[in-house]
Amino acid sequence: MLLAIPALLTVFQSLFVVPADGIGIGEFTKIDNYLFLFKNEIFWATCLRSIWFALIFIVGSTVIGLAAALLLNEKFVGRMVLRGLLVLPWACPWLIVGIIWKWFLDGNIGLFNGVLIRLHLISHYKDFLSDPKWALWMTALAAIWRQSCLVALLLLAGLQTLPRDIWDAASVDGAGIIQRFRHITLPWLRPALTVVTVLNVIYGLMQFDVIFAMTQGGPGSATTLLSFLIYRQFFIFTNFGIGSALAVALAFIALIGGLIAVKTLYRKIEV
Amino acid sequence: MESSENGLGLNSNLDRRTLLKGLGVAGLASAPMFNSGMMSAAEAASQTINFTAWEYQPDTIKSLVATWAKKTGNKVNTSFIPNVGYTAGIQARQRGGKPADVFYNFAYNSQKFVSQKWAADLRGLPGADKMVAEMFPSARSRFVAENGAIVSAPYFAAVHMLQYNKKMVAAAGFSSTPNSLQETYDQCKKIKANGVESPYVAYWVKDFVEEYLHVYLLAGNVTPFDKKGDPVFMDDPKTLDVLNWWQAMYKDGMTPKSVLTDDPGKHTTSIANGDAAFYALHHYFLRDIVESKGSASGDIAQAKIVGTGGKTLQMGEVIQLGGKVTGAKKAAAWDFMKTYGYKDASGQFTTFQKWAASGALCAPYPGFFTDPKVIAAFPKYMDLTLIADTFKSASDVVPARTLPWYQGFQAQCGTIIHDLLLGNSNARATANALAIACKTAKSGSGL
Repeated sequence: MLLAIPALLTVFQSLFVVPADGIGIGEFTKIDNYLFLFKNEIFWATCLRSIWFALIFIVGSTVIGLAAALLLNEKFVGRMVLRGLLVLPWACPWLIVGIIWKWFLDGNIGLFNGVLIRLHLISHYKDFLSDPKWALWMTALAAIWRQSCLVALLLLAGLQTLPRDIWDAASVDGAGIIQRFRHITLPWLRPALTVVTVLNVIYGLMQFDVIFAMTQGGPGSATTLLSFLIYRQFFIFTNFGIGSALAVALAFIALIGGLIAVKTLYRKIEV
Repeated sequence: MESSENGLGLNSNLDRRTLLKGLGVAGLASAPMFNSGMMSAAEAASQTINFTAWEYQPDTIKSLVATWAKKTGNKVNTSFIPNVGYTAGIQARQRGGKPADVFYNFAYNSQKFVSQKWAADLRGLPGADKMVAEMFPSARSRFVAENGAIVSAPYFAAVHMLQYNKKMVAAAGFSSTPNSLQETYDQCKKIKANGVESPYVAYWVKDFVEEYLHVYLLAGNVTPFDKKGDPVFMDDPKTLDVLNWWQAMYKDGMTPKSVLTDDPGKHTTSIANGDAAFYALHHYFLRDIVESKGSASGDIAQAKIVGTGGKTLQMGEVIQLGGKVTGAKKAAAWDFMKTYGYKDASGQFTTFQKWAASGALCAPYPGFFTDPKVIAAFPKYMDLTLIADTFKSASDVVPARTLPWYQGFQAQCGTIIHDLLLGNSNARATANALAIACKTAKSGSGL
């Protein structure tokens, strides 16, 4: 009920011109709010940008999270400390993550630039957030930093249920580390990966706080996502009909993304 | 210096003119009105008022609230909403049926809230006319709508000023701060040649750059909107000069490239440490610069954005009375609001004296600047006379900024101006895009 009623109300409102004072439902406009969006080039550009951001976020957090889970599943000194530390970024609210990363990426004093210079990847400090070519990547990186910790925790839990004897038997049969990863570990993690990817699709498409803290959607419209347009319609233009239509469009994209993730990843475990 | 256009009598509209003419009469009548106000307050004692504010100096807010509650015997439930997301938070409470009786608001939301009936028109409340009458003429139209409605009381007021490094300006061979935008560029260029890589900093982030649009248009002697609130800047050739200047400042490296995302804290550090020569923002930022005790903090002074040229933007945020408050509670809420945004029952600027001491914030009343307690409370390194003069005769509130549709324009400004600065657009296209943004904001069809 808690999910269904607001969802249905949003779909309902998307068909009306909703009075800003919240009293009554206003004029029925059929699908005019959707037609307004579909004819608007800002909407389509923002859709593409949101999908692109989500793709970077999904791939980045899944790959980094998986690598961290595999590492922390091995025995080494300090493993427990590192597992504990994994919770810290995840415990940070998204907005705080944005603020931390804004300073980390600072073009004058940011540690990120210092690291890149030490690695000889850049020759002088660069302000990535003010560069439209980099801003989306950098905001995605900040979001990945937090989300990959959650991914690592979930996948680590999955890895710990993997029977060691299967892995050992494969070793005895001469399977190398890559073969064991491909034919044992990955299939075993498929259900967890499916859940993780669906979560990442949702978090990636709904992202707002990190970007709000880092760039406010700028420079220009370089990091303006659909979530920003929804916020604007609801609280700035006070246009709840179009805001709701945008929310439905975003939910639809998330649904398609989630379905693709499930279709691609979910299979019965066959080890 | 010419008077503010609002100071010439606010004669654009009969209702507003009638109201403001009546203010003289209101002043004469103020004694009985105040008595009646005090009676209302007495009758209203032991009311419980719900007050919502954003989290700037919450301890100061709590102390101001406690003082008023103790004096009047009323109770105030204060709730704070973080600055980030305040607009969303306060609107959600209104729509969700939990509206505050008195609340902070951004000035650009004030008329929208009255038109949605989320906030009350203060006309007719005891002392409301006198409050408006005592304001700087240049400030009144932030609080009085075209139809004469008094939409809010001041929470604080400020003017955009130029914080500058005296030594750097002198070392570059200039005897005064810039008197025009072009001189600002020229001085920056010279100071840059002297080794300061990015001489000029300002808070040009996406959500804030709209304020600078007005700061620079006013500095360039452009009237942004007419008295009806229609945009006229795009028809003025001087607008293109201003926009070209702005683009050049960024493109030619007078500002750091990161200025599009840097926050005021970084700019404060930058100028306080001698990494910048100019910092354009509200007057009270000088306090942060000086008190941060950077290596150059002692060299920083304040001047008008363009010394003898155009005006600057006068800004400020407001407090509003809830639209659903009635009866004795309304009287108590208004008494609280008057104390918070005007004077207390004994005629003192108690609240503003406190804000002056804790944040160097101002009030849009000439009386504030001559109040001995304010003078004593204001930081000594700030030139209160200069700030008062800027309020009085060298600033404009741009009345359109409080119109119900305005926030829709403000939301679109960031992308348009950033595109100009990044070189994706030219001055003419930018002026046209801003005019279109006004149109879509008015019709509610912006995205």
